[in-house]
Amino acid sequence: MKTLFSVLALSLSAIVSANAAVVVIGNTASGDMSASDAKKAFLGKGDSSVVVYELEEGNATRSEFHQAVTGKSDAQLKAFWSKQVFTGKGNPPATVPNAAAMKSAVASNPNAIGYIDEADVDATVKVILKP
Amino acid sequence: MKFNLKALPIAISIAMAPSIALSDEAADAKIAKLEQQVQTLQSQQNASLADKVQFNGFISGAYISSDNDAGYNNADSSANFSEDSKLGFQGTFNITDRTQAVLQLMMRGKYDWEVEAEWAYLSHRFENGVKVRGGKLRVPLFMYSDYLDVGYAQPFARPPQEVYGTIPFSSYTGAGVSYDVDYDDSTLTMQAFGGESDVKNSAVKLTNLMGANVSWTDEVWTLRAVYAQAQLDGPVVDELEVELATNVNTDAKYTVLDIDDEKGSFVGIGASYDNGEMIAITEWTRSEIDAAYPDTDSGYLTLGYRIKEFTPYVTVAYMKTQDNDERLPVSQAAAIQMIAFNAERMAYSLGLRWDAIDNVAVKFDITYADDFGDTSGGFINNSMDTTTGQFTYDDTLIYTVKFDAVF
Repeated sequence: MKTLFSVLALSLSAIVSANAAVVVIGNTASGDMSASDAKKAFLGKGDSSVVVYELEEGNATRSEFHQAVTGKSDAQLKAFWSKQVFTGKGNPPATVPNAAAMKSAVASNPNAIGYIDEADVDATVKVILKP
Repeated sequence: MKFNLKALPIAISIAMAPSIALSDEAADAKIAKLEQQVQTLQSQQNASLADKVQFNGFISGAYISSDNDAGYNNADSSANFSEDSKLGFQGTFNITDRTQAVLQLMMRGKYDWEVEAEWAYLSHRFENGVKVRGGKLRVPLFMYSDYLDVGYAQPFARPPQEVYGTIPFSSYTGAGVSYDVDYDDSTLTMQAFGGESDVKNSAVKLTNLMGANVSWTDEVWTLRAVYAQAQLDGPVVDELEVELATNVNTDAKYTVLDIDDEKGSFVGIGASYDNGEMIAITEWTRSEIDAAYPDTDSGYLTLGYRIKEFTPYVTVAYMKTQDNDERLPVSQAAAIQMIAFNAERMAYSLGLRWDAIDNVAVKFDITYADDFGDTSGGFINNSMDTTTGQFTYDDTLIYTVKFDAVF
């Protein structure tokens, strides 16, 4: 129940801080990332050692992020991944349900990247790109 | 071990002690964080399993009907639920980080849901980025060739038949090699392929099939060019309504042309633009086959506009055989070839894609085809009245309601 409350609180804070920008986060040990590398990573291209995490479909931060970084709308992104999957070119990144899970996933793997609302950034992760 | 077990509760209570001292709120936050970490570890474990094998599928169900029996996309004046309905399952098996096997099984209503492998290949990506694939693969002649049956990934109800209908095979057995050049904001993909194929439900075989294509995309613009060639061999069999006597007709199968190891070539160019709202897609192709088998030029332009979950689109397409002078009716055989092979038409489509729910798109399309000239328009059911020299139909209208889903 407490967990549920904290999840609720987190999603509430995400709504409240809707004005803050989305940022790409990496492990605290990682260096900055260029916008074009981020675009490639989130479309399954470029350096294959990068482990990419996405927020789940329907999440507003996810849409905002893709608008800024890959330039794809929700519908375009879905069509893009169905094309990649059914031509054997790649699979969409793993998804996490919220910013807390995103931070935890990114913090635990030096090669991981993800994105969260700037307001959710804490010391466990590092902002590697402000698109 | 026993000692450890006994010690465990004590260890836990010692470990718990500081958190008891903390306020409830801080402890809850800490527990929530630990739970999060456990969840992450669990999902990573699941992910490593999921990394090995992935299963995906797609399904399309379509109703098509026409105002006449000319046979556009095999539609006739009764309802047809089979022609464009299909089901695909795909398994992707990651053997190593660089090697994978992909198997895509397709069932199509028009082939009585017979199971066929459309993709069945092993691929390996070398350290230098070169990717080789061997097995059964799609012939990458058109922009949508690689995902021809995945309606969900296409804006229209079906790729324009004027262009996509001119080539009667879509996969080959052989090998391919591809290489991606990554630029700052775009990717150039070069691909070469070679192998053999055959035409479904016919004895026509294609050997020494080889080709190359190059495409460039920055995810808004896509430009593409392709060249392919092959040796063709086998009889082109057609079914024609033959008038035995006045008002006595029969359907007869006969060999229109016996292709004797002739060379065929194909060139195509394409471009598309998609900025999230505006969609524009165009392709132009030319296929040439030695001897009397038709050489065809074709092209289309599709424009669409996304308004939330609705994407209305219009398409204009054409096709025309270029070598009608090779089939002048100087003999009975040539006359039959003229009737069977000469073809030209324009097609106009008005359609709507509706992204109704997650992973399901519903599509509505009306396509009108006319300007057949002195030809059947390319429809085998459009027969010629030999006394008047007129074909039965000089236009056709077809309706499509379709759903495309991916899972």
